[in-house]
Amino acid sequence: MSNDTNDAGTAVPEEPRDRIVSRLGGLGLQRVGGLLAAVVIAGFIFAVWSDWLFLKTGNLVVMIRLMGVLGIIGLGLLVVLLVGEIDLSFSALAVLSAVVMGKMWVELGYHIAIGILVAFGVAIFVGLFNAFFVNVVKVPSFIVTLGSNTLVFGFTLLISRNTPILAQKLPPDPEEWQVRGGDYVDAAEYTFFRALASNYALPGRFPLQVVWLAGFAIVFGILLSRGVFGFRMKAIGGNEQAAVLAKLPVRRYKTLAFVICAVMAAVGGLLDFSFISQVQPNQGGVYLFPVFTAVIVGGASLSGGRGTVSGTLLGALLLAVISNGLALNATGAFVQQMWLGTVTIGAVVLDQWTRSRQRSESLGAGLRGLGRRLGLLR
Amino acid sequence: MTAAVSGESIVIEGLHKRYGDTVALDGLDITVRPGEILGIAGPNGSGKSTMVKTLAGEVMADRGRILLDGAERDAEDLAAQVTIVHQEPQVFLNLTVAENLLVGREQRKILNRRIDAAESELLADMGLSAHTDTVLEQLPLAAQQRTEIARALAQDARIFLFDEPNSALTEEESEDLFRRMHDLADSGRLVILVSHRLHELVVHADRVGMIIDGQCRVILSGDDLTEDRVARELVVGVARDAIGDVEALADAAAARASSEDGPAALRLSGWTHRDGAFSDIDMSVGLGEIVAISGVEGSGARALVHSMAGFAPATGSLQVGVESTSEADGDARSAKAATDQVGFVGANRAENLFFNLSVGENLLSRLSVDISDRLGLLHPRTLRDAAEHLADQFRVKAGSVNDPMGSLSGGNQQKVAIGAATATRPRILVLEEPTRGVDVGSKSEIYRLLRQYADPEGQLGLPGMEGHGEAVVLYCTEDAEIFEVADRVCVIAQGRISGELTLSDYDDVESFAADRVHLEAGG
Repeated sequence: MSNDTNDAGTAVPEEPRDRIVSRLGGLGLQRVGGLLAAVVIAGFIFAVWSDWLFLKTGNLVVMIRLMGVLGIIGLGLLVVLLVGEIDLSFSALAVLSAVVMGKMWVELGYHIAIGILVAFGVAIFVGLFNAFFVNVVKVPSFIVTLGSNTLVFGFTLLISRNTPILAQKLPPDPEEWQVRGGDYVDAAEYTFFRALASNYALPGRFPLQVVWLAGFAIVFGILLSRGVFGFRMKAIGGNEQAAVLAKLPVRRYKTLAFVICAVMAAVGGLLDFSFISQVQPNQGGVYLFPVFTAVIVGGASLSGGRGTVSGTLLGALLLAVISNGLALNATGAFVQQMWLGTVTIGAVVLDQWTRSRQRSESLGAGLRGLGRRLGLLR
Repeated sequence: MTAAVSGESIVIEGLHKRYGDTVALDGLDITVRPGEILGIAGPNGSGKSTMVKTLAGEVMADRGRILLDGAERDAEDLAAQVTIVHQEPQVFLNLTVAENLLVGREQRKILNRRIDAAESELLADMGLSAHTDTVLEQLPLAAQQRTEIARALAQDARIFLFDEPNSALTEEESEDLFRRMHDLADSGRLVILVSHRLHELVVHADRVGMIIDGQCRVILSGDDLTEDRVARELVVGVARDAIGDVEALADAAAARASSEDGPAALRLSGWTHRDGAFSDIDMSVGLGEIVAISGVEGSGARALVHSMAGFAPATGSLQVGVESTSEADGDARSAKAATDQVGFVGANRAENLFFNLSVGENLLSRLSVDISDRLGLLHPRTLRDAAEHLADQFRVKAGSVNDPMGSLSGGNQQKVAIGAATATRPRILVLEEPTRGVDVGSKSEIYRLLRQYADPEGQLGLPGMEGHGEAVVLYCTEDAEIFEVADRVCVIAQGRISGELTLSDYDDVESFAADRVHLEAGG
């Protein structure tokens, strides 16, 4: 994306005034600045509305955890959008990964490592499945992933018999074991599993999802703004035909994008499972809307070639603030849904508005340049 | 005959049309009489298509008038009266033949999908009765064209403009189409045929008007109407008395091409398009040479150029490179290895450039792997230096390499597209209409750059990249451009090489153009 503030080589000034301004200039900064402002304003409103309950540590932890999940899955979606495709199957896949892992580990009694490996294997398979139909069969990704979303969701319900999977460790007393029934896992493995997403040593069970998110954000940020990977992703998403004529490996990058999205969905799903130590197989659609909204609000374009890691992080934060704030102020799940819908439409309107502004600005720059050349302007 | 029906003629008087600085029509006068087929010939960019569009009411002329039945007509009137038939029929492919006939006139036939007797007779005339209820998609192009004509007849259209209508038809289908053209003319309708194929014009048209530089210079009819004469008249200010025998020309050119003067940078033999756009092409491009591939739309010339770059499926042998040659002989992997050494720039800037990236990023878009460090990371300074180096070589006029792509003029955008293709230093550079829509100044700069790239000693591209350019191939139909930039032109007609011309044999563009047009028309 030409307005990526992380990328010095791509900053687009309307006029090269001075280097610092030109590096930070353009709409990238406006977008990030606008998002930060939105987060602060929304946070302030919720804080006052909730009589400052919103800013209590316990609530901030819940909010931050939500941001972590949205952000982690969102980074994967960002890559798919950058390359000019769409993925609707990541939400169902996040739940399937957790269910597969729980099935292997809790119900079938395999070692946790095998459970995790199989879960990622399933995710990679779904990513390849999507990529195959997009690249080889040439079905639009919207249709392919709409289908695989339902396929994955159905498969999840099938293998889990729509029963929640609960991870619980073997109690010390075998008698209690008899009384409580159900499946138990090895205590050491259980501790490892819970420690993936929560740290009891930190205040308020500090959600480690955010730490994971920070790590992924750094890796994705480098790959997308400094790597050949991101450069080519943006080129392919910006003009696929030009990428074909330039002989860029279009199919390989698209396959990579779908696999990355699937793997990140699995990471998000497993971390959520770890945090609440339970997975609900029928929650297959729970991430779809908030993650999509977060990424689009964060400035990724549905038509491809534009989007940043920083924007996605802020989008995830804004979504977390809004969802949490609304939940806290007891507006109820239904009104919360309506708010999410409103924010989604607003995000797309904002996206189109900034893009048309960008066009007119570059047109303006072109006219100014022409004027200078003709000696009409100084 | 003319006197009796003069009231139904179209009279075009003093038509002027400008597009920006380009004069498309410069006082065009021409009359179309009922009962005849008026042929229109002219080089590319002469104003033919502007005339066609003005007649059809799609374009408003700046000055001048069009009279029909002795009265002046505006665009709306014309649009209702004129039907254009060209290579791609304007029909509803998802509807049946009968529905196509009815669509747009439903007010008179509410919810009635059946056609009446007159209409089914019309379809029978057009040889379409067997297909009345067939969806057009499933019919061959020729039947779609006939449906378009039937549709126009059902709507009482009186003027039929055939614009290169048969460039995608087989010979039999073409003959059938021409028969129908004569039928239309005999029924008193006004018929105009625009074609690049001189033979067809001479055989089928009663008179042929030559449009050059937006004017109708001369109209040939009767004994004057011969292929030679048309070819000669087509060339601006032609001064040559005789045009060489086409066959002799073709033979001489072929002989020169096959003579093993120097090493070949590109060699095709038995090169055949998978869907038959061209077949059995044998040609070679020498080291340091610029060769133009020329041919009318549908001749296979464009597909041939695409296939050299690996963008059209073809079989046969393709050899790229003087030394470490890669040869494609049938299987996909060897074809890819060979065409990987060919850089391609397409005809439309929109399909060559990334408008979401900056000028510098566009210049570097093809070689991102080569300028990254071992971890696959890019360093802003390396990027900027490389981009500025390329921008400098290609004289891209931009404030900075960070400027958005869309802020550049057309000529500079094209320089960026070519610069990006040469950055990786492919052995062969293939370009499609490299200066389409480019201003004169940028044009000559682009010609100079292409010459420099073809030269094995010319150091275009990024320093540090391996290899160098060995030859340049262009798809080009503009005589002036070929004359200025190419060493040799290879003319394609009906999917085969109809002849090759060496530019050094010509002193002026006019005589070259006359010979080329001859070959283009099929030889």
